[in-house]
Amino acid sequence: MYVEQRVHSSPDSINAGVITACQEGDREAFRLLFEAYKDRVFSIACYSLGNEAAADDITQQIFVKLFTRIGQFRGDSEFSTWLYRLVINSCLDERRKQKRFLPVEDFTPMPVQRKSPETKYERREIAGSVREAIGGLKPKMRLPILLKYIEGLSYEEIAAVLGCSKGTVASRLNRAHKALAKKLSYLRGELEL
Amino acid sequence: MFAKHVSSLTSAYCHDELSPDESRRVAEHLISCERCRGEFEEVKFGARLAAQLPLIEAPDSQWRGIEIALDRKGRPAPTPTRRRLTSFFVQPRFAVAALALGVLVIGFAAFWLRPNSKPVGATWDVARLDGAPRIGSALINDKSKLGVGQWLETDTNSRAQISVSDIGHVEIDPNTRVRLVETNPTEHRLELAEGRLSARISAPPKLFFVDTPSGVAEDLGCAYSLEVDKAGNSLLRVTTGWVSLQLKDRASVVPAGAACATRPGVGPGTPYFEDASETFRAALSKLDSADDSRPADRASLKIVLASARVRDTLTLWNLLPRVTGPDRELVYDRLAKLVRPPDGVTREGVLKLNQQMLDTWKDQLESRWDDNLSPGLLNAWRRTWARGLGKLNGLEGKK
Repeated sequence: MYVEQRVHSSPDSINAGVITACQEGDREAFRLLFEAYKDRVFSIACYSLGNEAAADDITQQIFVKLFTRIGQFRGDSEFSTWLYRLVINSCLDERRKQKRFLPVEDFTPMPVQRKSPETKYERREIAGSVREAIGGLKPKMRLPILLKYIEGLSYEEIAAVLGCSKGTVASRLNRAHKALAKKLSYLRGELEL
Repeated sequence: MFAKHVSSLTSAYCHDELSPDESRRVAEHLISCERCRGEFEEVKFGARLAAQLPLIEAPDSQWRGIEIALDRKGRPAPTPTRRRLTSFFVQPRFAVAALALGVLVIGFAAFWLRPNSKPVGATWDVARLDGAPRIGSALINDKSKLGVGQWLETDTNSRAQISVSDIGHVEIDPNTRVRLVETNPTEHRLELAEGRLSARISAPPKLFFVDTPSGVAEDLGCAYSLEVDKAGNSLLRVTTGWVSLQLKDRASVVPAGAACATRPGVGPGTPYFEDASETFRAALSKLDSADDSRPADRASLKIVLASARVRDTLTLWNLLPRVTGPDRELVYDRLAKLVRPPDGVTREGVLKLNQQMLDTWKDQLESRWDDNLSPGLLNAWRRTWARGLGKLNGLEGKK
């Protein structure tokens, strides 16, 4: 999976002690938590909302919400599962709000310049096309893709975050993969497989 | 053999999410079923495309925004109302009405809240209270603006009031010169070159600062006055809350009812309660005027110690790191006589300025510094501002 890991802090560095400290209101511990998850949360928000400014706002709101609600985390599930549920719900709420004022059919992807099939694609150009294509998927298909490829969650974890069965996750990912393949079929020869 | 196709399992197969038996069945099926193999190739390509999705780096400014939001969390939040409104709006039968109402609300809000929606701190509102105060060369009317870098000046007959963004007010007394140095969501800073101002701030600690020629006054959630004379000496008097005064590595945290003088190049003196005796204050002033070229005067120290009341342990505690050797022993002995140190705080540790012991003792002393505050109330206040106050030893903090 192609992700840029931050060296100074990662979700792996967040242990029970850090979470307990956050629950006790320790701002330094919360900073660690923020550093570990900020890019992941921001990425999901970006891909979900299709707008970096809105993603910036919602990411801040999510972490403020997290700080005030982290006391409710009882350890019944993985912390990341609990966090991503909060992230997904916040992004869905935000999209609903946006839809009330913007009569768009669905997601408006971030503009990415489309290249002709003849162009030799650089990796980031492929990423841009993928980003645009994923932005055009319906949320039901987009969210499992983000949780799988941005967060690296297993099917079981994705199911826990989305509140559905593992079979449903498999089915939605299947459809999403096919949709991506169809939309970006012109990249078939460009992507080194 | 082809009775059960496996196309619905291909993603799970790609991600190794199937049991060994299922995985084997899919593999065997793919060898012999052209249709499923075609779908598998499609899914595999889609999966490889999705794997190109990059992680997007969050903006650097995020943490600052979160900290500000958390610090302000104590203020009345509109969330419950908004949630109720949201649930109202999402009911389909109210959708049209909700949309219309929403447009009206937004229109009114945009109109009435116009001043607040301006970029935070680009300018501060200033109002004339008396006489003819000026911003630069322009006279101030009832609604003027003070921009970053601009000087506000009052003469002998004029006064003005500044609105410090949305966190409080500062009254500018006659014969005063102040300049707006900085204003943004994380820092509001004035420079007081000369004269007197009174600030009343309702905001998290470490948000409002006043630079003077002899140090920086850092608001810890409070009301206070600050005056600067022509030589650059300043006097801070706190009426509620706490204020920190700092110059380089020297600092004093001053509670309500107390005052603290500062001198250019020397920094904050020792804080004292304003109801201390004249004798005490005069002797303390002499002590504070000591510097490298003029060592502390033992006679003045003895007067301070002899005339100290329980409440004056504020001063004695702050004196501990400011004196050395036998003088520190004298201060400790008098302090211990006025308020016995708590368990775990030893003479040896305090004389070596063990920070943990100093803090523990200070926690105990604080309840004796304000007759109007019960320990419970004081603790509640301290909890509220605990983070901003940080270490209350007066030796650390933002400069």
